[in-house]
Amino acid sequence: MEMKRFLALGMAGMLSAAALVGCDNGGNVVDPVDPVDPAEPGVTEPGEKTTYSEDEIINFTMFSAMPGSEINDGNAAQEEIAKRTGVRVKETWLTGQTAEEAVGSILASGDLPDFIDGGDGMVQLYENDVLVAWDEYIEKYPNLKELYSDAEWEFFRQDDGKIYWANVFCNTYGEPKATGHNDEAFWIQCRVLEWANYPTIETLDDYFKVLEDYYAEHKSFTDPAGNDIPIIPYTALCDDWRYFCIENAPEFLDGYPNDGSVIVDTTTMKIVDYNTTPTAKKYFAKLNEEYNKGIIDKEFATQTYDEYIAKLSTGAILGMCDQNWDFNYTITPIFADTKLSDLGCEYVPLGLTIEPGMKQRWHTYGDTLNNSSGCAVTTSCEDPDAAFKFLSDILDQDIHDLRFWGIEGQDYLVDEDGMYYRTQEMRDQLNDSTYKASHVCNYSYMPQWLGTSKDGKNAMQPGEQASEFYAGLSEPLANTFKAYNAGGYPDMIGSVVEEMGIWYPMYSYSNAMTAETAGGEAWTKMGTVKHEWIPKVVMSGDFESEWTKYMDAYNACKPEDFLAEMQEELERRAAMAE
Amino acid sequence: MANEFEQVENSEKVVEEFVAETAKNEEVEVKAKESVMPKAPSKLKLSKGELKRQSVLLVISAIFVLYGILFYYLPLGGWIMAFQNFKLKTGFLHSKWVWFAKFKFLFPTLKFWTREFWDGEFIRVIRNTLGMGVLNLATTFIMAIVFAILLNEVKNKFGKKMVQTISYLPHFLSWIIVTGIVHDSLSSTGIINELLRNLHIINDSYNFFAHPAWFWPIVAFSNVWKETGWNAIIYLAAITAIDPCLYEAAEIDGAGRWGKMKYITLPSIAPTIMILLVMNIGNVLNAGFEVQYLLGNGLVQKVSQTIDIYVLKWGISQMDYSLGTAAGIFKSVVAIVLIVISNTIAKKAGQESLF
Repeated sequence: MEMKRFLALGMAGMLSAAALVGCDNGGNVVDPVDPVDPAEPGVTEPGEKTTYSEDEIINFTMFSAMPGSEINDGNAAQEEIAKRTGVRVKETWLTGQTAEEAVGSILASGDLPDFIDGGDGMVQLYENDVLVAWDEYIEKYPNLKELYSDAEWEFFRQDDGKIYWANVFCNTYGEPKATGHNDEAFWIQCRVLEWANYPTIETLDDYFKVLEDYYAEHKSFTDPAGNDIPIIPYTALCDDWRYFCIENAPEFLDGYPNDGSVIVDTTTMKIVDYNTTPTAKKYFAKLNEEYNKGIIDKEFATQTYDEYIAKLSTGAILGMCDQNWDFNYTITPIFADTKLSDLGCEYVPLGLTIEPGMKQRWHTYGDTLNNSSGCAVTTSCEDPDAAFKFLSDILDQDIHDLRFWGIEGQDYLVDEDGMYYRTQEMRDQLNDSTYKASHVCNYSYMPQWLGTSKDGKNAMQPGEQASEFYAGLSEPLANTFKAYNAGGYPDMIGSVVEEMGIWYPMYSYSNAMTAETAGGEAWTKMGTVKHEWIPKVVMSGDFESEWTKYMDAYNACKPEDFLAEMQEELERRAAMAE
Repeated sequence: MANEFEQVENSEKVVEEFVAETAKNEEVEVKAKESVMPKAPSKLKLSKGELKRQSVLLVISAIFVLYGILFYYLPLGGWIMAFQNFKLKTGFLHSKWVWFAKFKFLFPTLKFWTREFWDGEFIRVIRNTLGMGVLNLATTFIMAIVFAILLNEVKNKFGKKMVQTISYLPHFLSWIIVTGIVHDSLSSTGIINELLRNLHIINDSYNFFAHPAWFWPIVAFSNVWKETGWNAIIYLAAITAIDPCLYEAAEIDGAGRWGKMKYITLPSIAPTIMILLVMNIGNVLNAGFEVQYLLGNGLVQKVSQTIDIYVLKWGISQMDYSLGTAAGIFKSVVAIVLIVISNTIAKKAGQESLF
């Protein structure tokens, strides 16, 4: 249920990285009278721009069921986009609730925004008939149609045969440019690797061995501000839906990809429950052992997400298992700001397995089609056509550049080859949250591209621009990549390069389950039991007996009902592919 | 000496007379009530003139009646949802009637002597709500009275006002802030653990939120911290209204501070205490939502979830309005039963009562 949140990548994505995309930013703006015309990159002269005056600009609202930060009114990029497209969208985010709670409250109040990404609550929105179907607009606006192939659009069809939302993430245009690892991994600080002379770390045991050895010699360190920081070798977040940080490692340790809620055994095409595998037991036994040795944070089970991020920001945590999007977009700018990056506090991902020599699939190559949620227009929107036109307009290359690269000359420059780049000053500026709030407007939960810009040179999003990626690396991080002979994060983690099966990812199905089916009820109950028992098991003095109790409680939830429904879905998806 | 004795005797007489008079007054009141009651019907005859004469009063009271109907009685129509499989799409009119199915989901088995019954999620939630409600009520209620009486004994006016002001300010903090403070102070690097470590009571920091046994006390403490000053205001007001003669008389009779508290202050504010107690007992099931929601975590969820969280989880998150309503109805019924019981007890004990 949690995986889908990696969509959060979009929202934060922009913060940290740098890079360029290039088209001649001459800014070909779509003619408002003829919105069907997709922008051809770099053809028009700036003089031809059509602009909208303040009276003509339509104000829309959007709610995304993800935590995020609101941007300031009068945000420079937002105003520029409004001028060129005639639409301004006020985005609001989830605060302190779960996605379902937020969507439930919105539905109960009847007070809907114009655009919505309901996250886990998407199905509720559909079931209550408050979404506008995309179908006619997909045909009308080629920019939208282009987002997915016909076969992919099929996956978004609901049982009434219509499409109500499109996921906006992990969608590559042209050549992939990925330099990052925006998935889960066991992360470790560069300085630990450097101290251990860049050893090969393959298994969970290797990993904890390095942490233990380092901790034995370093109980604390002095940060650049002169504070003495006690070191905590490992922590594991268990807060609410983010407990995947401790919960789903067994699927990866066995070498399977991020299906999220289950393992798909590709030889037999059977669903396997990763909560009860021998690997799961070994993994939790290892955590239990390390906890009792004092290697794992005493407060891991009770810390909130904010406390977790606060701890990471001090550089105190040597390693943890987490999704990149869950911490790195926040932590990287902080480390750059506090100069902790120069101390080697930045994290690199490791592709661990339970036994040495196994293949693993921590990194997802290619796009992930998560059909369980996405951007939608609601029935409260008075002018759905204008809304869809806007979704299409912001995919025009010049607007897309405005969203992700910023304003030319201020947030990025273009060299004579048409390549986008940033100066160090610009990078620092873009790491500053105050500047971002008043100058950056990603519309991060609206349709967007990864991969190569329509100019064929730059990357759609700065984080993927190779030149920017390398220029932005701190010295310890660059040294680490060099030591492991890695060109970037994906090389560092070294997962098997392969296309995912058509069923991938299975979490898009379990995310959308409701308590109305037996499987859904079991899924809810399993979550409750795991929330309670996983920390208990890790913290126990007697692992074996606690594990038995955990398994009893787990089996009482009837996981077989859940697995049976997942199996059905797997077979349905596999059949669809044929 | 003789004079002094006389004075004492006199003042005793004064007290006796006063007490007797008050008793008489009460009797008169009671009689008056009794005499009015039977006569009432004849007086109630509606004449045009009478209506006209009371028109302003009637209009004013009508506003309140309307308000009550609109905001308290009309929403009760929503209770229908509990007996349907309510969906927003189909509304009240076309949702399927399921009668008591939702209540059966709350109480899967009614054999209350079985283990299964007590392990049910809803039963556990009721237990938590009642447990925390009673604990909160007992601690905040007693603390407020004790605090008010003690504060009343402070003779330095400036000091008294200052303490009063400072102590009620936390009432105005929202729970998100209070729980933030509580979470911080109880963390491994927080003030409590630091104190305990420096006093060598513990060697290593203690994780308060990892142990279910600590959860209820932490919630009760947070409530006490936040509400004591505020709740004490009403008692302080009641204490101010006590006739100073009584204290003087008691003093002459040789009562010390303790004696005055015990024989004058406490009995004088007893009616206030009783009324507030009856009202608060009706509120026991409102044991809180934010505190438990914000302080809870996976490890303590079995003791932390209250009925309100349950309603949120099933009613709003899972969009099962019917189940949420059923749980809400149950809560209201229990609250009414509680209030009737406590009111009856208060009446029997000869104290003030609500109705």
